[in-house]
Amino acid sequence: MGLLSGYVIYSLSFLLIYIALATILHLQFSITGIVNFGLVGFWGLGMYLFALLQTKLALPFLPALILACALVGMTALLLGRVILNLDGQAILVGTLAFATIIEYLTTTEKWATNGVMGLGTIKMPFDFGRSTDQVFFLLILLCLVLLILYTAKLKTSPYGRLLLSIKDNEVLAQSLGKPTFRHKIIFFTFTCILIGFFGALSAPLYNYIFPRMIGPGVTFTIWIALMLGGRTRLLGGMIGIVATVGLFDYFIETVVPIPTQYAEMVPNFKFALYGLMLILILMFRPLGILGDKKKEGVK
Amino acid sequence: MTLSTFLSSTLVLGLLEAAPLVLAAIGFTLIYRLNGFTNVAYAENITLGAYFAVIFNSLLGWNFYASIIPAALLSGLLSVVTYLVIFRPSFRRGVGKTELIILSVGVSYFIRYGSRILFGNDLFNFNFSSTSYLKVFGIGVTNIQLICIGLVAVISIGIYFFIYKTNYGEKMRALADNEELAMISGINPTKVSLLIWFIAGSSAGLAGLFYGSFSFVSSSLGWNMILIVIMVSVVGGVGSIRGALVASAFVGIVTSAVNLLSSNSLYGDIVLLIIFIGILKVRKVRV
Repeated sequence: MGLLSGYVIYSLSFLLIYIALATILHLQFSITGIVNFGLVGFWGLGMYLFALLQTKLALPFLPALILACALVGMTALLLGRVILNLDGQAILVGTLAFATIIEYLTTTEKWATNGVMGLGTIKMPFDFGRSTDQVFFLLILLCLVLLILYTAKLKTSPYGRLLLSIKDNEVLAQSLGKPTFRHKIIFFTFTCILIGFFGALSAPLYNYIFPRMIGPGVTFTIWIALMLGGRTRLLGGMIGIVATVGLFDYFIETVVPIPTQYAEMVPNFKFALYGLMLILILMFRPLGILGDKKKEGVK
Repeated sequence: MTLSTFLSSTLVLGLLEAAPLVLAAIGFTLIYRLNGFTNVAYAENITLGAYFAVIFNSLLGWNFYASIIPAALLSGLLSVVTYLVIFRPSFRRGVGKTELIILSVGVSYFIRYGSRILFGNDLFNFNFSSTSYLKVFGIGVTNIQLICIGLVAVISIGIYFFIYKTNYGEKMRALADNEELAMISGINPTKVSLLIWFIAGSSAGLAGLFYGSFSFVSSSLGWNMILIVIMVSVVGGVGSIRGALVASAFVGIVTSAVNLLSSNSLYGDIVLLIIFIGILKVRKVRV
């Protein structure tokens, strides 16, 4: 396993987490039409809650994970009740505000999170000596595969069709007797729990977590990736993440030799290029690299 | 601290805080009213307004007040360029509302990090020839802050009159309400749209340079303001200049009150965001 050791496996684990987040965003946006600009809020909340439960209350891995997910779910339910029956742009602003509140709270509540000093050390759930990282990578891979299978199944299931009908014409779905608001809240809560779950899984990877890790940049990177890959397609998120985060954070920063005096400029070029790619994609190929497949979804 | 000094500090500091926000919110709400989407890239218009002023003031050595005019014109121009190159073609291609917002995020990233490549990660300060300290209701303020407030007041009243009392303003409102009807009435949509984007861009630029004159100019200046700007416009009522004015003053006063009570300035923002989410819910605004 020489190739898959140390930094390589660490970067690949994060790539998988990002792919999972992009897939969940695809679930929220393409199936129910919810524009979640607060993705990083739920991710960061899951991450911080898990870390707090593990470091401050000394809970073992699984109880901490479950409790963190439950708390994220309760938060999502509360936020969903407040904003989900407003129109699209209010949901967007509301979720963005939520994520900002979470980021600020992790900075201000020093008694719990140590503020900008960072919270740690967060332990791995198991110890297999030198191959612990590889096993954890496989665990994340397994969760991602399950998520993708679920997403694929949902699109053709009756429940998926119901959610699609809410997205396409909520008033029509209501007139057929479907409690659309309730379904939206339940699905939003469920998908936010998934985001929090992957947040909790990120905590042991990071080892130490800081408020600046959960800035709005994460949300927008994943949105850009999803748009780039193809928001209507199951694998759009994966393709987009590989073409953005994979290319820059993994390939360019680890493989391409960059002189140290230019190293601090790399993120600037990266984000400027992300922006440019997003502009070009939305103007010239709005459905992303993968484009549209007629059979996909319910017409 | 007695109650009366607390109240007067809150009021004075709050209005100082609110002054640039008023300009930013007015420009934002104009674009929102005309084109009906949340233009996140507006944040970069705010930032670049401050950078343009820095170029004239710090790098070319102009007087601060003289550099306001070219900075406002250039940021208006930038706004028009983003409209012509990116947003207008996108409207014509029928890009959806949500996609437009995400597109504007892309524009924002491109401009922000592009300008960081040009200007570096450094912070910039303005050169003021003379700064004197004055007392207003017992609160220390600088003459520059007072002049900024005065200018903000003059400019907002100017924009208000332009939109509600002039022929062009009427055309602008007509176009925002019903584009087809406006076109049938002989209003040239391109000309009016260009004008709105120019005014919005200029007021964003002015907001940025005034905001920067209170502290410093960095590439994330506009980005740090944009969420509050969007919230102020949404809560104040889309297209409503009076609403933007009231909501901005409210933001300033709440922020300075919380700042006086707690050591961490982030609490002010947290309180505001929670109040705003609540207002979104109560008013059920159709943003």
